[in-house]
Formats: sequence, structure tokens, C-alpha cells
Amino acid sequence: MNQGSRELQVWLDDLLAEIEQVEMRRKRERRMRLDVDADALPTLLELLKGKASYVHLSAITCVDWIAEGEFELIYHVWSYETQSLISAHTRIPREPGRYLSVYDLYKPAAFFERDIYEMFGVYFEGSPFMEKFILTEWDGPPPMRKDFDSEAYINQFFNWQEYRPDWLKELEAQGGGIAIPPDEQRYSRRED
Amino acid sequence: MKELPVRTEGAFAKRTNPLAHVFDEFVRFCRSHSLFMLHYCTGCGAIELPPAMTSRFDMERLGIQPMVTPRQADILLVTGYVSVKTLKRIILTYEQMPAPKYVIGICSCTVNGGMYWQSYATAKVLADYLPVDLYIAGCMPRPEAVVSGMRKLMGLIKTGKAESWKDYYRRYDHYLGNQQALFGERWQTPTDVLGEAQQYGLHGPETEGEHTALLQQVQQPLIPHRMRLK
Ligand code: SF4
Repeated sequence: MNQGSRELQVWLDDLLAEIEQVEMRRKRERRMRLDVDADALPTLLELLKGKASYVHLSAITCVDWIAEGEFELIYHVWSYETQSLISAHTRIPREPGRYLSVYDLYKPAAFFERDIYEMFGVYFEGSPFMEKFILTEWDGPPPMRKDFDSEAYINQFFNWQEYRPDWLKELEAQGGGIAIPPDEQRYSRRED
Repeated sequence: MKELPVRTEGAFAKRTNPLAHVFDEFVRFCRSHSLFMLHYCTGCGAIELPPAMTSRFDMERLGIQPMVTPRQADILLVTGYVSVKTLKRIILTYEQMPAPKYVIGICSCTVNGGMYWQSYATAKVLADYLPVDLYIAGCMPRPEAVVSGMRKLMGLIKTGKAESWKDYYRRYDHYLGNQQALFGERWQTPTDVLGEAQQYGLHGPETEGEHTALLQQVQQPLIPHRMRLK
């Protein structure tokens, strides 16, 4: 890291420490986590992009915290100057699951927002194109939500075939074979 | 001519021409040694095909070559998990291939969904939608397994046991029903499978049924694309 970018980083650290709505945790030298309220996030991104050289939005991640009734949105932004990554975390209520688009700040956000809308059903207002993206032929609920029961879905739409070839039977006769039957492997059926 | 009395009982009927099947066998032998494999890869198992085809394991010594178009291919290799969207393309491809055609399901994913058994996006049992001649299980099968599977297929062809493509025509209603259950009622392909079944003389009692009736109801005539130069 050269002198200029080190100065930039120190300046940014000082600035972020001043802002009350932002909770800052520097995990490693080039990795920082910011927790911020949903209404302050666009402003924060604007600051990061405009003043602190974080011009590259690498991804937007969505996490479904179903027990808390919240979606967590994580904006990963990267700076070529300081060679460091900032993850800005924010939480929005699961219902109605709407948020602001950051397309006007970062153009690639359009892709990520479209993808999240498809997989989690979070609608981003102001995003230019929210049509179907990958699941063009899907008309069920957003499949990455925790309340979507994938197993019930596949049992409804797909069959299973008996697959017990002779070599497997031989192994089983010798006491080997499948140690844990698939039914007990399934996470959704686990008791603990 | 039909009126002529033909004696078919007794020792006369048992006498068969020892050369009667020679031609069939010869055809099957030739067929099994000149297989064109459609290079259409679906899942991760496809990564084992380049070594199987190139100089290390060299499938060409068995007479198997990759082919770029389904209309000139004999084998359809389904190399791994099949997402529902891909399955549509596979069926379109399969129906374009000229008979006799053979389908090999490589990888455990084509048997029962493999490690994607819980995924909403992948089809589980390939044989529900297409007749499969042979499975090569494994996650993923090594080139040796692929080559030995190919040899097995050649053996099946030589002995006339690789006949699954006939099953597609004989039990088209069954396969179409499964396809409709997955893709919706408006599913149709450009190939006239029923007509082909007539053509090959494979139109049986299970070729048509409620699903083909539904297909004929919703079928839209194909409109040729206008060729246009911008
Ligand atoms: S069986 Fe394994 S290697 Fe083959 S497609 Fe499935 S996951 Fe991939």
C-alpha cells in the first residue's frame, strides 16, 4: 500500500468512527465490515464511492433470517486505490421486502438486484429491469427463501427410481453399503 | 398368392437358413464400430470426456468420434445433472437424432439426481423423460469407466439389445406425460413423433393416450422463420 492510499484509509477510518449510524469493524488490514441502518446505506455507499475510491461493486448478497423476520443485504465494494474490500451490511424487514436500488450509483447493481428479486423476492425500487433472469420458466415462490420447502417440491414433481445394483447388494451382504440411509441424512428431518 | 397352401408344421418349419441373420449381424457389427457421439454436455461429468476422447484414452480406437450435430449422431451422452431448462433442450436434441439412437446417462445425477437430489432445479430420473440404454454411475466416472461403458454399449448393439429408441415410439404417451408434468401442458416439440412411429412401424397400443391427445389439442403449427438480412 502506498502512502496516499494509507492516508485515505486512515481518513476513512476516522470518518466512519465519527458517524453514529455506522458500526465499524476492521477484520483484517484490507477487510472491513460496516453495519448500517437501511435508510443510511445509500448515503454511505455514495460516500464510499465518491470520496473514498470504492468504485467497484463486486456483489450484493442476500441472507434470509427467517426467525428474525429480516433480510440481510450485504454490499461488497472494492477499492483499487487501497486494495481493500468493504462489506456494508444492512437489514430490512422481511415483509414487505422492498428496498431502494443503488443502480444510480453502481450500474452492475441491476444484475444483482434482479437476481435477488428472483431468488428471494426482495423488490428494489428504481432498478431498471426486474424481469425473470435465470429461472425463466419458474412460477413457484422465490426458491432461496427459507420458507420454500425444496423437498416437498421435488417430491411433488419428481419420481425416484430404485437403484440397487448387484455390486451394492454384494457389499451389503458383507455388512457394508450405505451406512446412513438417505432419510436420516436429511437436515430437514433431523431432530436436533 | 395368399391362397396357396403353405406347409409350416413338422420338420420343415424347424429348418432355418443358417445364413438368414448374417446380414443383420453384419449390419449391427458395422454399426457398433462406427458410432458418432453427439458432443452435448450438461453437467460436471463432461470434464471426463476430453481425456476419454483424446490421446490418453483415445476412444477413436473403438470407432467412437464426436459429432457436432444431432442429425448425424448416434449416441446422446447426458453427462451429469440435467436442469429442467436443459432437459427441454435434451429432448429437442434427442428427437432430432435419426434412429437408431442410443442414450447414455453418465454420472449418478442422471440416475437419481445424485447430490442434487434435493434441488428444485434439476430433473431427477433421466429415464422418465427419455429411454436410456446405459448408465455409467459415479460422481464422476473416470475415463476408464466411460470407455468401458462405451464397450458395453457396443456389445449391446452387436447383440441387438440396445433397442431403447424403439421404446420411445412404443411408449411415447408415457414419456410425453412425464414431460408435460414438468414443462406444463403446452409443451410441444417440432418433431412429429407419432408420424415417425408410423414410419418406423413402431406405432403400438401405448404410443397414443391421454397425453398425446392433450398434445394434439394444444399443438400449434410451426411457422417458419423468415430469413432476413439486416
Ligand atoms: S454425479 Fe457428480 S460429477 Fe456427475 S454431474 Fe452429478 S455432481 Fe457432477
